Amino acid sequence: MTNSATPATTGTSAATLRVSPLAERGGLKARERRVGWFFLIPALAAFALVILFPFLRALALAFTRSDLQTPEPVFIGLDNFRTILNSPEILGSFVTTAIYVTAVTAGTLVLGLAWALILNQPFRGQKALRALSLIPWVLPSTVTAFIWGWIFNSRFGVLNAVLVSAGAIPFPTAWLSTPGGAMTAIVITKIWFSIPLFMSFFLAGLQSLDREQIEAARVDGAGNIDVLRDHILPHLKPVLLVVIVLGVIGNLQHFDTIYALTGGGPVRATSTLSIEVYRRAFDQWDIGMASAVGLLWVATIMPAAYFYLRQLLKGV
Amino acid sequence: MTIQKTSMTRRRFGQLATAGIAALTARPAMAQAGTVSFMSFTYAEEPNKPHVQKLLDGFAAAGGKVEAIGSAWGDMQKNILLRQRSRTLPTTAQIQERWMPSLATLPDIVNLDDILGRAKLEAAIDPKILAMGRVNGKTVGLPLITGSVGMVANKEVLAKAGVEVPETLADFKKALIAIRDKVPNSVPYAPATKNVNSIPLDFMIMVWAHGGRIIDETGKVLINSDAGRATLAFMTELMKDRLIAPELDRPDSRRLFGQGACGFYADPPQARGFARAFSGRGEAADAFVLPIKTPVLKAGDTPHSIQWGHLVSAFKGPMMDGPDSPGAKWLNYLISDAAQGTFPPSLSALPVTRSAQALPVVTKDAFFSNWKVASGTPLINEIGIWSNAPELSTILSEEFQAAVLGQKPSDAAIAAMASRMEASMAKRG
Repeated sequence: MTNSATPATTGTSAATLRVSPLAERGGLKARERRVGWFFLIPALAAFALVILFPFLRALALAFTRSDLQTPEPVFIGLDNFRTILNSPEILGSFVTTAIYVTAVTAGTLVLGLAWALILNQPFRGQKALRALSLIPWVLPSTVTAFIWGWIFNSRFGVLNAVLVSAGAIPFPTAWLSTPGGAMTAIVITKIWFSIPLFMSFFLAGLQSLDREQIEAARVDGAGNIDVLRDHILPHLKPVLLVVIVLGVIGNLQHFDTIYALTGGGPVRATSTLSIEVYRRAFDQWDIGMASAVGLLWVATIMPAAYFYLRQLLKGV
Repeated sequence: MTIQKTSMTRRRFGQLATAGIAALTARPAMAQAGTVSFMSFTYAEEPNKPHVQKLLDGFAAAGGKVEAIGSAWGDMQKNILLRQRSRTLPTTAQIQERWMPSLATLPDIVNLDDILGRAKLEAAIDPKILAMGRVNGKTVGLPLITGSVGMVANKEVLAKAGVEVPETLADFKKALIAIRDKVPNSVPYAPATKNVNSIPLDFMIMVWAHGGRIIDETGKVLINSDAGRATLAFMTELMKDRLIAPELDRPDSRRLFGQGACGFYADPPQARGFARAFSGRGEAADAFVLPIKTPVLKAGDTPHSIQWGHLVSAFKGPMMDGPDSPGAKWLNYLISDAAQGTFPPSLSALPVTRSAQALPVVTKDAFFSNWKVASGTPLINEIGIWSNAPELSTILSEEFQAAVLGQKPSDAAIAAMASRMEASMAKRG
């Protein structure tokens, strides 16, 4: 009986105590944690390989000279950043980006909200229109860019055809060849395919709006603007914050339709930071400078990303 | 027992994963054993794809194996440089002559003198043509097709406008005005005005026509001159008078020309091939494609065109490890009469080898004879020969656009172009 006694009965320390030969070290919680980490490994590996490693490499390259004449990167400290500070072209890209992000975010917000309010009204064909409204969002962005490219085309464009036939302009205008025209074109294009996403957010938010409260306000004599200002907007405030932050982040990152429509031109009129990085890296092959601009580009996104994550974690 | 089974499973999982990764990495190499790869932008152009396919079929009939990889002209340099970084270069790649100085810096580019033999190359190919692929004394590009970038006129458009082929720039402008007024919806002259990689060629031709230069052979920037200012002022006037158009790249010019909506544009002899494809009239289109001398400032001045060609570069790897390698066989095939007698003429370009240039398919083709006369004295691309050519092209194009689109006075644009180019050349060292 003594020989077969359990360790507990013989006074062995709790650390070596094993209830069963199948028991896991540290108990079930620890086992769950280990399994959790095991399942995380593929995602972590993918993150490290696809995001972390390229980011750290770009970070290192930002402090080097790496171009066609120096294929092996050479450390040059902060020289690339000094060049950026003294380059009106690159600094201009920050201004261009600010104009683009502000115009697109504001435009999408207003039109997305307006469209959501319309689609929130009960009318015949409402569901079909809601579904159709998603088409711009579903289309690949390069297709969208080509559609708008043809609308604005100086020789065959729909816009010119309409304006010339209406007698508004004497001959076709090259809209994409003027700084204002090109910027307007890329802003309209981005707004057009971003509206469905914003509209969906707002529409979801509107579903939980207390209709009785609105009706009561109307009975009290509130007009449409009053209802919007005093009831709808306060109700949508959390959605608005998230949508604005997501919109700013997305527009700061945006590249494809701008590149497909204008390539950053004419001259540098639509050269946002994303285009600037691309042109530095793949037109001029100045990888060091492209990385430095890219690093500053990431820095512009960080505040919005931080704000978004804070909002997100608050909700958890 | 359960524990033992679990640990066995983990071990087996590790073994299987290792074996799987090994299989995945080994598979492409096994699948491609003995096959040479050829990355080509001509293969990515729909009208020209069948001609490249014939070239590949010809090599296959000669006992070789080559796999073509299409890559658009505009993406070609990017693809090669990215593949160099990821060590996934093809065995061979088609290169535009003006990319050669930039790509010659690639660590894996092969000196073809070691593979094909310098004496053999010099015996087969004229030194002027061979020079397109020579950088720092090494042959890093094997000429494939040659010619020059010169001016072509659409005879049918000229007839509609009732104008003759102009000799001077003044006559040229008069002809353009006539085309604008008499051929509706046309672009009288279609230089590239959009793509930073295409604008320099058209601008260079016009600078030479005005008697100027952009950069000399020592690297001195010369564009800020009377001729340079006159050129940009001339182009700006053409835009203002709607004789050239914004938003045009070379492919647009080719389509307009083929569809009878353009009087003049600059292109290599391939212009005929594009006219055949884009007019929808096949060889009947040859009747309206007229190579002309670039208009000059004063009657009697020498017209110039730009030296032009496509080359093939080879990259280090098991397929290119010596004179008897499959890659070397492919390169030798490319300069054989079988290839040179068919491929360049099918693209309306000239063969590069002396023997193929003497073939009847070349000597009896009136288009080639006319082209040779019209191209005058082809000069070397003043931008493309520098290793910082991409940056120089961007600078030139941005300042050109700023002037012709009315964002900057042409003199200010030329001054800015010169100072930015000087800074780029100084940085280059």
